[in-house]
Amino acid sequence: MSTSTRAGRPVLAGPRAPRAGAGPRARWSPRRLKEAAWAAAFLAPAVVTIAATRIAPSVDAFVDSLHRGFPGGLRVPVFDSLGQYQALLSTDAFRETVARTVVFNVIINPLQVALALLVAVLMTRRIALRGVWRMLLFVPATIPLVGSSIVWGIALQPRGPINAIISTLGGDPQPFFTSPDQAMAAIILVATWVGVGYWMIFLISGLEAIPHEYYEAAKLDRAGPVRTFLSVTLPLLKRPLLFVLVADTVANFVLFIPVQVLTNGGPQNSTTMQMFNAYRTSFTYGQKNLGAAEVTILTLIMLVFVVVQFWLLREERPARRRR
Amino acid sequence: MRRTPLVLGALVVSATVALTGCSKGGSDGAAGGTDWTIPEEDPTATIQVLGILDPVKEHMQEVLDAFKKDHPTITVEYEYVPFDDLNSVLDARMANKDGNPDVFWADQPRTAALATRGYSADITKQFEPYFGAWDPAPKESSTFDGKLYGVPIANSSQLLYYNKDLLDAAGVAYPSADPENRSTFEDLLPNIQKVVDAGAENGFVFGQLDRYYQLEPLSVGLGGSAGATGDGNLTPDITSDAWVKALEFYGKLAADGLMPRGITADQTDAAFLAGDTAYQIQGPWLLPNLATSDINWGVAAHPQFADGEAVTPTGSWSLALSPFSDQQQAAAIFMKWMSVDGGGQYAVVRPDPELPASPEGKKVYFERDMFQSEEGKKAAAIIDYETSKTAVPRLGTVGYVEFEEIIGRAYSDVRNGADAKGALEAASAELETAWAAYK
Amino acid sequence: MSVTPVLAPRRRRRASDATNWPITALAVFVAAVFMLPALWLFSGSLRPTSEIFGSLYPLSWGVIVPKTVSVDNYTALFAGTFGRAFLVSLTVCLLTVAIGLVVCVTAAYALAVLEFPGRGAAFAFVVISFMVPFEAIAIPLSQLFNSWGLTNTLMGLVLPGIGNGLAIFNLRQFFRSVPASYREAAKVDGASEPRVLFGMYVPLSGPAIVNSALLIFLGQWSSYLWPLITVSDPKLQVAPIALAKTFTEHFADYGQNFAGAVALSVVPAVLMLVLQRTFGALGISSGEK
Repeated sequence: MSTSTRAGRPVLAGPRAPRAGAGPRARWSPRRLKEAAWAAAFLAPAVVTIAATRIAPSVDAFVDSLHRGFPGGLRVPVFDSLGQYQALLSTDAFRETVARTVVFNVIINPLQVALALLVAVLMTRRIALRGVWRMLLFVPATIPLVGSSIVWGIALQPRGPINAIISTLGGDPQPFFTSPDQAMAAIILVATWVGVGYWMIFLISGLEAIPHEYYEAAKLDRAGPVRTFLSVTLPLLKRPLLFVLVADTVANFVLFIPVQVLTNGGPQNSTTMQMFNAYRTSFTYGQKNLGAAEVTILTLIMLVFVVVQFWLLREERPARRRR
Repeated sequence: MRRTPLVLGALVVSATVALTGCSKGGSDGAAGGTDWTIPEEDPTATIQVLGILDPVKEHMQEVLDAFKKDHPTITVEYEYVPFDDLNSVLDARMANKDGNPDVFWADQPRTAALATRGYSADITKQFEPYFGAWDPAPKESSTFDGKLYGVPIANSSQLLYYNKDLLDAAGVAYPSADPENRSTFEDLLPNIQKVVDAGAENGFVFGQLDRYYQLEPLSVGLGGSAGATGDGNLTPDITSDAWVKALEFYGKLAADGLMPRGITADQTDAAFLAGDTAYQIQGPWLLPNLATSDINWGVAAHPQFADGEAVTPTGSWSLALSPFSDQQQAAAIFMKWMSVDGGGQYAVVRPDPELPASPEGKKVYFERDMFQSEEGKKAAAIIDYETSKTAVPRLGTVGYVEFEEIIGRAYSDVRNGADAKGALEAASAELETAWAAYK
Repeated sequence: MSVTPVLAPRRRRRASDATNWPITALAVFVAAVFMLPALWLFSGSLRPTSEIFGSLYPLSWGVIVPKTVSVDNYTALFAGTFGRAFLVSLTVCLLTVAIGLVVCVTAAYALAVLEFPGRGAAFAFVVISFMVPFEAIAIPLSQLFNSWGLTNTLMGLVLPGIGNGLAIFNLRQFFRSVPASYREAAKVDGASEPRVLFGMYVPLSGPAIVNSALLIFLGQWSSYLWPLITVSDPKLQVAPIALAKTFTEHFADYGQNFAGAVALSVVPAVLMLVLQRTFGALGISSGEK
């Protein structure tokens, strides 16, 4: 749809269009060098900061995971190569924790993104005081997570307000956090309440960036709202949707505060997921090396999810002009 | 150009590893060793102290000011961290291996764990002259492998509080305040039922729900061990009949609706002070709050099982010296002032009442305001009795951290309805795995 | 020679632009349901702790509506260390956003628009950087910062928040949807890359920049473990830590805790409203729908 120019002369997009000015050394033309230099300059602050504050300690942590140490981390650890990993992967408890984490993420990520999208669509309609309602939906994400967890913990008590409402409506009070069958769902509820408003704002920006010409064209085609949504809105939302899905996935994989505050991994380990487990191993038990191994496995599993998401929502590459 | 990204990546990674390589290490190892003594004359020094008491709200500042008056040349930089975060902060500070902190708050049952991790220094030689100043139980709890690793600054006990109005409404007699003739759980059960039937929101609450500190007496009172046996107390012993019976009792209280589910240890005091709870076992620190509330309260002795022994929780905080401290002597003077001088100035000077770890301190403690009311006098007598006769310290083992956490989860699961035997067996297996590192 | 960004012309208001009242009602309902727990938090902050728990049963309006409204929790809280910590947090976060936005916008531009060998790897680098949970690297990082002398410093608090991989990712996604023709035209006119970025892309990216600013702000605003372990000076401690101190070993002051939670949530919420209002309208085609 967009045409590009090179050296002032319009070039048609197409694999066999004559390449003006293209030669065997064109790759390192002054233009490309200049662009690469700018790229380096623009990327340098971010890359240096990230390398120093994220990657360097991550490498440290990974190296730690290749050792076996005494709790507390002061005694010199012994090199064990993949020993920690072997031990973990052969433990039933750890494998169950991984399974629980995967199940949790398979449920919560599409759920949160779908709800966020629904709410974003609602909040981009022609409604009065739009900014205020958007802010109110955003508020749950601004409350400190410990505070939100405490509030939900009290609300969902067996004799708490939510069960009281359920009783007056004629239902049976539910155990929520006190039952191994419901605790995970209750955690999903809390995390969703917090996250939906947050991801909504990114999707609102995405929705508002769609030029209305597309909608008008769809109207001319007599497309109904659902069809418009599926064939016009969604494809044009791919980029922000990829961001939201990936970012939400990461956020849910590293989530542990609600578990810590509300269930401590219980009842009967039903809410013990990898991040909570790794936090407990590292900080409660003081076993840094084992904790580092647990986190590495967590990051790898997260990476698989993220790679799949990038593939599912990949951008259509425009036909390459070079080579 | 596939190689460029790899080359770039490798350069970045190696640069960062080089950066981390040359910056790790810091100062290495202990600053002073164990061969030094507490000096007669105060040095001029600044020490860092890491504690869990709010200087303003919990009046730790008054304690620090009093120390400053007595020892003007020693400056104390006190850092206050939230109670739940003490361990993470300690981990991070110890990893730096510098002199911050010099002294830190150490939970008495963790003495062995902290010592074997290398977090606390052996101070036997320095404090040997003062061993007689402390009550035997807190001193024992601060000892590991025959050596002293912390100086006790406080102790604790537990009382059975009850809401007189709720009991009157159910027509139930008050429990006994005589520790020699205390109420039994069996006697209390029907009363708790009556109170709940008469409308009390919470019948019976252990103040520190699901915590080993609070619930150890149930198992030990029925004849069980503190939780482990064998060499170094590293063989789990929580599946004995006594333990199973104790946890079945705990679970049944919740299943029968006599003890609430879903509320946490943080919320129990607030519920009692709101008038929601009929009976609550809690420490003496609830007394000042009760005095300012409008609850019509009474106090009784911690119940026991009819065919068991009277056992009460005990133990509190000690101060430990960091092996990396660069101001050991000044730090030791501070520790001595806090725990030994005049019965332990920490508990004596601090406006908030704290049960001291020394006989001399306890005399001063019982003169506090909160013990002067009618119920207060009963409380004082009970505390004195319990700390001398029925207090049982928590399990002394290198693996205490794992134990406390794992057994806590077992208690929680049982309160939420899990089968007691199953939960204890699962916990025992988990302990075996966790303790393998120490054997 | 100036580069004028090509903005979509604003549409004329039409009759069909009138407010959709049924949908408004739905939006209000959804917002109200979402806000209910937050409302309870707010009402709890206006009561003493014992009333928070005393009013829970039986179910009545008393759960939400306080018997006596008082701001004691707020005054007690701000009179203590929380007041100063609040200001420290504000300073740290605003500084982080100011520096962080520049760093992230430039990096995102390079990743989205510029062509250079290793771009894919650099992007992967950025994405992987936000996948490692912070708790896993907190202690190694604190040792690093300790050796660089950054403990107990403002910059020590700010620095980890600057290189926000998520913000870079968000901006990169947005920049990629700006038509390449705009840049080509500007380059033909002789504009340099910084000119294109700051003179053209940035004005077109209002919403994305606002969202990334909120991302960076909230990440830093809610940061707990990092300030806990790198700051021991009580004068430099941040608000979430001060908030945690409302729970002491023997007494959990829920009233003050809720007050602090409300105070902490007001800032990013209002910030979001203000930023969206001010900059949210700048965009590629932000028409009314």
